[in-house]
Amino acid sequence: MPRQPASSRWFALVPGYRLATVRVCLAVTTLVFHIPKFNRFIDAYAASAFHVPPALPFIPLLTRDGGVVLIILNYVAASGVLLGLGPRLCAWFLAVSGFYVIALDPGEHYAHNAQFHLTLLALIGCSSDHIPLWRLLAGNDDAGDRCPAWPEHLVRLQLSIVFFYALLDKVFNPHWRLSGTVLATLGVRDHAPGLAWLQAVNQAVIRAIPGAMSVLTTALELFLAIAFLSRPLRRAGIVVAFAFVAYLEFLLRPGVFAWDTVAALFVLVPSADRGWRVLHDPHRRACRVSASFLSRLDWLRRLRWEPSDASGNTDDATCLRLISPYGRAYRGPDAVAILPLALPGPFFVVMAMARFGGGFLGSRGYGPWYDLPFVVLALWLLLWVSGAVRRTARPVYAAAVRAMVRTGRR
Amino acid sequence: MTDIRGWRRHVATAFIVAWLSIQIVTPLVQKFELPAFRYRWARFGWAMYSRLVPRYEVRLFRVSGAGQTEPIPTIDRYVRGYRSPEPMTRLALYVSEDEVHGRFSRLISYVAREQRDGYTYVASIRWTEYPPAGVPTVVEFRATSTR
Repeated sequence: MPRQPASSRWFALVPGYRLATVRVCLAVTTLVFHIPKFNRFIDAYAASAFHVPPALPFIPLLTRDGGVVLIILNYVAASGVLLGLGPRLCAWFLAVSGFYVIALDPGEHYAHNAQFHLTLLALIGCSSDHIPLWRLLAGNDDAGDRCPAWPEHLVRLQLSIVFFYALLDKVFNPHWRLSGTVLATLGVRDHAPGLAWLQAVNQAVIRAIPGAMSVLTTALELFLAIAFLSRPLRRAGIVVAFAFVAYLEFLLRPGVFAWDTVAALFVLVPSADRGWRVLHDPHRRACRVSASFLSRLDWLRRLRWEPSDASGNTDDATCLRLISPYGRAYRGPDAVAILPLALPGPFFVVMAMARFGGGFLGSRGYGPWYDLPFVVLALWLLLWVSGAVRRTARPVYAAAVRAMVRTGRR
Repeated sequence: MTDIRGWRRHVATAFIVAWLSIQIVTPLVQKFELPAFRYRWARFGWAMYSRLVPRYEVRLFRVSGAGQTEPIPTIDRYVRGYRSPEPMTRLALYVSEDEVHGRFSRLISYVAREQRDGYTYVASIRWTEYPPAGVPTVVEFRATSTR
């Protein structure tokens, strides 16, 4: 098939589920992190009599009443983005209102993660996917919703631009380059005792070889900047970007940047391809319930439901059976473990709620709730253990049996 | 229909070009001082974890005619969350030292102007960690309030 020219790819109509999923995920981080933080800024600014001159001299200063209205409107707009009610207007409102608050007092209100978040909100405000949250949750309802692809491409290029300038900074910055001074002095959040050793190992490695870690970080960012531009490197880019920001979030310093990056990565994954096959027995109630539940989580429309007897396998109709787009079969705990790859949107929302909900409880002194996302991750990884053990044990067992048979023959 | 055409396409193209131009040019001019093209730290430059973040302590207080140090009354009214006279530890996370000095010199002048009580208002800044190069460890701003 001949490749489309780039201009056609940008203006082609693509399934809207990717942008709708990014929008919902961004709305979640907006509601649990960005809005509370910015509303605190607004409240403090409006309650103070003294203000530094704003970054842009023509913008109006925020009054007390104006602050109250802006706080309320921010929540309304964030809810609109989440639910898909006037999402374009709401996303642009949040982006403009956020940059306005930054411009009022950049020294106090600016943060890179806020800039990134507002930039993504503006880009999601360009999407015309017309898929509200309830349609996303409607399961098998695939009305063939399509929207122009260019906002997805802009999000991809934006990621590349961010990583490119981040790497440029490390090349020219004397505190990075070969010295890695910044890395060696970075303060990290303490975790509960069970996880502290992981943190300690990471810190020890950084302090032992800060220069090498600095070069590695720069190389990673260079790779990511290129990967988001190059189609063949895109899949590797998703994996590396996810691993990189997960490392930043969980082992270095938590912040909303990692979450927004992961949400933005969803524009790079396939959607509406029905590439994952789910084998189920439509005559069993448990299977029907499970199918109904999973289909509501299938925001990217990747699952295709097939009766289990269609493949000639009726033995494990009660279990979840998944077949990946590459033909690899998963069943039982393995299938549950692999689900987040097929259903990344809901998994993101669960993790974000664990992270920011845990952070909220932790900051109020209710215990080490900061580690809640680690617990969720650990539970998920635990599901991989049985599969990994089986995959490792099977060839070992086979080799042992062969060796015993050979020894017996002698 | 498989793609967008007509005026919508022209508007989208114009938006894309404008967006990318801003996103490429802004960090570049923020990061490199023109025309010397010298590297600097600046906001809006995607310079995450870029600096050794300076930490400072600031004390806000007033001095009576007899030279006695007193807390500034109702300092929280001027800036929510500020305390006086005990020191406040702060990070210069996204600000330069000039901006820190500018903020507190303006604040103290503003408070002196508003109070009109004959006291001298003082902001004393002490850089404690990673102090900016060429800046004295302790910087003090004073403003005398006229009755």
